[in-house]
Amino acid sequence: MAEKWTVTFLINRQKDGVEPHFESFQLEVNPDEYVLDAIERVWAFHDRSLLFRHACHHSTCGACGMRVNGVEKLTCITTIRSVTSDGGTVKVEPLRNFPVVGDLVVDMTRLYARMEMVKAPSVIPLDEAPKPDTSVFDIKPDHDAPDDMIRLVDCIECGMCVSACPVPLTTPEYLGPAVLAGAHLRGLDNNPSLLELVDGPNGVWRCHSAFECTAVCPSNVEPGWRIMDLRKQVVKKRFQRLFGRGG
Amino acid sequence: MATAQTDPHARSNFWKWFDAFRRAPGMWAYALNRLSAIGLTVYLFMHLIVLRTLTEGPQAYDDFVALVKSPVFVFGELVVVIGGVYHGLNGLRVALTAFGIGVPYQKHMFYAVLIITAVVSLVFGIHMFTA
Amino acid sequence: MTKPKAIVIGAGFTGVATAHDLALRGVDVTVVERGPLANGTSGRTHGLLHSGSRYAVNDKESAEECIQENMILRKIVPEAIEPNGGLFVGINESDLAYGEAFIEGNEACNIPIRELTKKEALELEPNLNPNLLAAFWVPDGTFDPLRLAMAFAATAQSNGAKFYLYTEVLELIQDGQGNVKGVRVLDRMTDKRTELYADVVVNATGAWAGQIAENVGAQVPVKPTPGVMVAYGKRLTHRVVNRLNKPGDGDIILPQRRMMVVGTTSYEVEDLDYVPVIEEQVDLMLTRGSELIPGLKEAPQRGAYTATRPLIGAGSSGRSIARTFKFFDHKESDGVDGLVTITGGKATTLRLMGEKTADVVVKKLGMDTPGRTAEVRLISYRYFVENQGRP
Repeated sequence: MAEKWTVTFLINRQKDGVEPHFESFQLEVNPDEYVLDAIERVWAFHDRSLLFRHACHHSTCGACGMRVNGVEKLTCITTIRSVTSDGGTVKVEPLRNFPVVGDLVVDMTRLYARMEMVKAPSVIPLDEAPKPDTSVFDIKPDHDAPDDMIRLVDCIECGMCVSACPVPLTTPEYLGPAVLAGAHLRGLDNNPSLLELVDGPNGVWRCHSAFECTAVCPSNVEPGWRIMDLRKQVVKKRFQRLFGRGG
Repeated sequence: MATAQTDPHARSNFWKWFDAFRRAPGMWAYALNRLSAIGLTVYLFMHLIVLRTLTEGPQAYDDFVALVKSPVFVFGELVVVIGGVYHGLNGLRVALTAFGIGVPYQKHMFYAVLIITAVVSLVFGIHMFTA
Repeated sequence: MTKPKAIVIGAGFTGVATAHDLALRGVDVTVVERGPLANGTSGRTHGLLHSGSRYAVNDKESAEECIQENMILRKIVPEAIEPNGGLFVGINESDLAYGEAFIEGNEACNIPIRELTKKEALELEPNLNPNLLAAFWVPDGTFDPLRLAMAFAATAQSNGAKFYLYTEVLELIQDGQGNVKGVRVLDRMTDKRTELYADVVVNATGAWAGQIAENVGAQVPVKPTPGVMVAYGKRLTHRVVNRLNKPGDGDIILPQRRMMVVGTTSYEVEDLDYVPVIEEQVDLMLTRGSELIPGLKEAPQRGAYTATRPLIGAGSSGRSIARTFKFFDHKESDGVDGLVTITGGKATTLRLMGEKTADVVVKKLGMDTPGRTAEVRLISYRYFVENQGRP
């Protein structure tokens, strides 16, 4: 028999002309349900005016990223049990560092535009690992995928890393972890314009090593590592150029 | 049209630099780094102002030195030491990871920084208060 | 010369595909959607790019549509697809017996399949049940539901279509003769009500199509039929794995990014707006899924959700209803001009649904422009602008 908890959800409400404020909804929940399920029930049974973004409900689309108790979570895969206890409170707010469209919805246009600017890949070869010596699969024994197989990349463009990063708070022009991670995936070889972008004033050097992007990423991207690795590559390329070996 | 606020509840985004509560160690390291940086900068200005008393002759300087031997000031100086040690050690951590060295161990490095800072602070503290 | 106007209600797969097709043919399209893009059935689709093999025995029309559209989608929107093929795997005698009909059906539908030996199957996918009895390779694939919808929507926008998300249709506006002239909407972002007019209104609300049609007293026999999906946090196969047998519960496992998603079930509901997950069904997915891939039992559960299919027609059980789509010109069926409904179908045939709907719509608008969506490469999903302005 499923457990039943009573949880209070404090949900951010705001619209044009309505200042941001929290509204409280008390729900009976199964703690192993997901935060998104509760938000959907608030909309379906308590307040049809609630605005929130969601699509796939299984962490592939990246639409349902929100701040839950102050920390970025992908609400479709975040159990209620992991963020509160019976009788507890769950604060739900939209992501930071994006314009808020209303309630829990933010405008992601700028992120998408920048991902396209660096031409971050959407699909990659199946066995391309996120880092050397790590594996994508849980396939035993060690099994190489055929060369012509491809998969959707790890980054689901959810924007949670951008929200968690402290830099865009005061420097919105910063390309941001997702975009730099996408640039890293694309690779600097054969992409000279990319080098200018990531080595520019709003590229890799804006990062201040908070590593919160890696901490909140729900999808194994590890943007923090990628930004630092990209720095190594950038420095190498600049040296090569300096000593006339092209790049 | 979309409103341009980035955070509906921040008094100002500046304070969000220190929003490490419930976040991962890396964010704590960052926030403490900023905090200690601000602290050390303020201390630096105070230090320069104090040194100015040297130009006012030996009595003025001696008066000042008597003042800073009081426990409040000694404690204040200990805080500066803690801040400086933390900032320096974490700075090393940032310098290493900033060039891709040891990034998967950034959390471990942070804990090491905290431990060393604690030990050094303890040693300094004991010296300063028993001297 | 002003372009003829169409309003599409619903920004799920049907809506975005129809909007794309109409916009490409020079129609001034406005899409209204009460939530975000693909927030209904479409967003939660399993993500299977059907080869059609699943339907080759019992529903050949569906199977043929699937294989054709499968090939087209691979060409026009590769950035949303993992095109790695799939397997049909038989575990017991009943599965084995299905093999013959399976081969015949696929042949009849021109779906290229390949029978594999047990050894070959396990070499391709080492995590399969080692006691499998039969296996076939099929040209399945998987896709990202939101990105697929966004790519169609972005391309439609680039050809002039306007999308108003978070805009709910309150009622259809009718003239003195009862014909539909437009929609009265609530902009949920500003709480303002407004009216939008068009020459034709397309009801593309999928499982909700009946509710919209009721507005004007029209009947649309759509039967909302949800099913559960469960996602696990390990990628155990390169390819899709299907159970070799007639369609049943929990007989599809597909890999997507670094997960596996097992689905699905089939039952009826009254309330569409929130369909809870039933724990027994989640357990069933694990049981059935691990018959094909035993390693699923050790994989952590990552998500569980329901998606409500818009099945059409009367029938006693959800599974036996044909999975083709149907459009209704309400002038013919209900005496209400200016409104057409398109519903049913599956994600894989979205482009075709859009084309067939657009064919009817442009004819009603007095145009004869043919459809070209099978040849037009979609632009990057990242170009989709969520907030183009308010209605």
